[in-house]
Amino acid sequence: MTIQNGDEAAAPDRFLSLQALTKRYGDTAAVDAVDLDVRKGEFLAMLGPSGCGKTTTLRMIAGLVPTTAGQIVVAGRDLTNVPPYQRDMGLVFQSYALFPHMSVAANVAFGLEMRGMAKADIRARVAEALQLVRLTGYEDRRPGQLSGGQQQRVALARALVIRPLILLLDEPLSNLDAKLREEMRNEIRDIQRRLGTTALFVTHDQDEALTMADRVVVMNKGRIEQTGTPEDLYERPRTAFVAAFVGRTNRFPGTGAGDVVHVGGVTMRCARPVTGPVEVMIRPHRIHLDGAGDRRADDNHAAGTIIRTTYAGNVVQYDVQAGDTVFNVEQSTDATGAIVGVGTAVTLSWSVANTLVFEAAP
Amino acid sequence: MDERPISRVLIWLASASFLFLLAPVLIVIPLSFSGDVFMSFPPSSWSLRWYASIGQHPKMIDAFFFSLQLAGAVTAVNLVIAVPAAYALVRLAPPGAATLMSVLTAPLLLPTIVLALAMLIVAARAGLLATPQGLFLAHLVVTLPYALRIISTALATVPVAVEEAAATLGATPLTVFRRVTLPLIIPGLVAAGALSFLVSFDEVVLSLFMSGPRLSTLPVEMYHHVESRADPLVAAISVLLVLFTLLIVIVVDRSLGLARTFVR
Repeated sequence: MTIQNGDEAAAPDRFLSLQALTKRYGDTAAVDAVDLDVRKGEFLAMLGPSGCGKTTTLRMIAGLVPTTAGQIVVAGRDLTNVPPYQRDMGLVFQSYALFPHMSVAANVAFGLEMRGMAKADIRARVAEALQLVRLTGYEDRRPGQLSGGQQQRVALARALVIRPLILLLDEPLSNLDAKLREEMRNEIRDIQRRLGTTALFVTHDQDEALTMADRVVVMNKGRIEQTGTPEDLYERPRTAFVAAFVGRTNRFPGTGAGDVVHVGGVTMRCARPVTGPVEVMIRPHRIHLDGAGDRRADDNHAAGTIIRTTYAGNVVQYDVQAGDTVFNVEQSTDATGAIVGVGTAVTLSWSVANTLVFEAAP
Repeated sequence: MDERPISRVLIWLASASFLFLLAPVLIVIPLSFSGDVFMSFPPSSWSLRWYASIGQHPKMIDAFFFSLQLAGAVTAVNLVIAVPAAYALVRLAPPGAATLMSVLTAPLLLPTIVLALAMLIVAARAGLLATPQGLFLAHLVVTLPYALRIISTALATVPVAVEEAAATLGATPLTVFRRVTLPLIIPGLVAAGALSFLVSFDEVVLSLFMSGPRLSTLPVEMYHHVESRADPLVAAISVLLVLFTLLIVIVVDRSLGLARTFVR
């Protein structure tokens, strides 16, 4: 492995480069030889279940966790062994981690003070940062006097005011309630776009990852499962884990026999030929009831009976028994649309392209 | 305040407990204003003569000032030792930190008389008996566990993330401690300091073993006085000590809030 420098490093698509980054605790690898390149100005989400290594990766980039092996290179500079206070990373914590004994202005000013900036310049930059997060007028408040959303905006201002190399966000929205979370999503995204800051966002929430990020890295058991645009991950998942973790899906064990798979009494054609034990995944909203949706000649079909109907406002969820298999089907509602009752016989149809197959895990 | 009904029995029980705890003070105060030559309760006449007579006991006054200096020095050195020690135990958490903490706070559980005996033997051999240094070291041993406990608890309540945030913003470890950790544990420091001071100032058993005819602390001097004479002088001194203690508690309360400092 070579340490890049000079012109090669300036390549904008390798602004942050993780090279075989590894963190071992005893015998278990929390992060296992992760390779990742992040473009300058990109908003990258790291998505995965708890314990998948995403937070450890972020903390290694921030310098808060020593690496076991591998390298962290930012803008051509190897930061692997640089202490956190010399890294110029802006970190936003899930718990906000504001300084409770300092005012909002003092919190935001802290990083600039550490850089020995002149008082007048600090005041101007703090005002600018607070305006960015719409907290002008809150300078003299203490963190304890602010709501959770306001505290997180102070934390964002505090991290951004130092003009960090990379903005690191560790589950920043997890402590907020649902409505605020959605507001903050847009706010963080807008600010990041406006400033052009490279951002790394760690989350276990697939909605956050899909809606906010330019690219998403799905992690599992310390390794990267797949890296791609939100659409890549949703429409073209490379592993069963990604298909199941990103979005809701039907997940059936089956047997591949060339162009078709047999799933508990239902035979369906799939996107690629497979043999042996497989897992079949079909998104619930890509399955149509009876005549609904665009139909194609080569669509898969299954006859079944509705055994449960759940009305959820924007969608109706049906459980449909077809053969030995229960299909979860989701149809968007319409003011004029009727809801199909339990016990009704229906024909399900879905396209071959939406029939994803994966070799079953041994 | 929430208004929960409190059972009558509980109120009686609490009142009785308070009365029991305060009884010595309630007896000492009237006794200190006695006009009698001997301690007797209730006094047959009232006067301020015993307060006035404190001035005629230079040994008492010397002992008071020595106790004050001793407690002050013990408190200062205590904090200087306990803060880094607590930081190492809580934040750096070396292997065996929990065991180490138990060992370091063990003197809290040991009967003072056992400690005093052990120290007497060591001090006699080292030639530290009846020296300020000997008393200082002895007091340090009994007060350090208090300080360590309180400061460790205070440190444990400071979220690590807050310190990490400061580090990522460019603060060196020392700056993080000075600008973030230290201000957040000040209530713990004040509590630890106040408690060290009071424990040292109050200490009788150890001081009795470690002091001599030419050097003694106020409680020891008072003890000797009562041994030889039964006049109400010590009652007058006791009342002043109660006021002095109260003053410390009030200062702590006014500056930080008592509940915040001692009740954690």
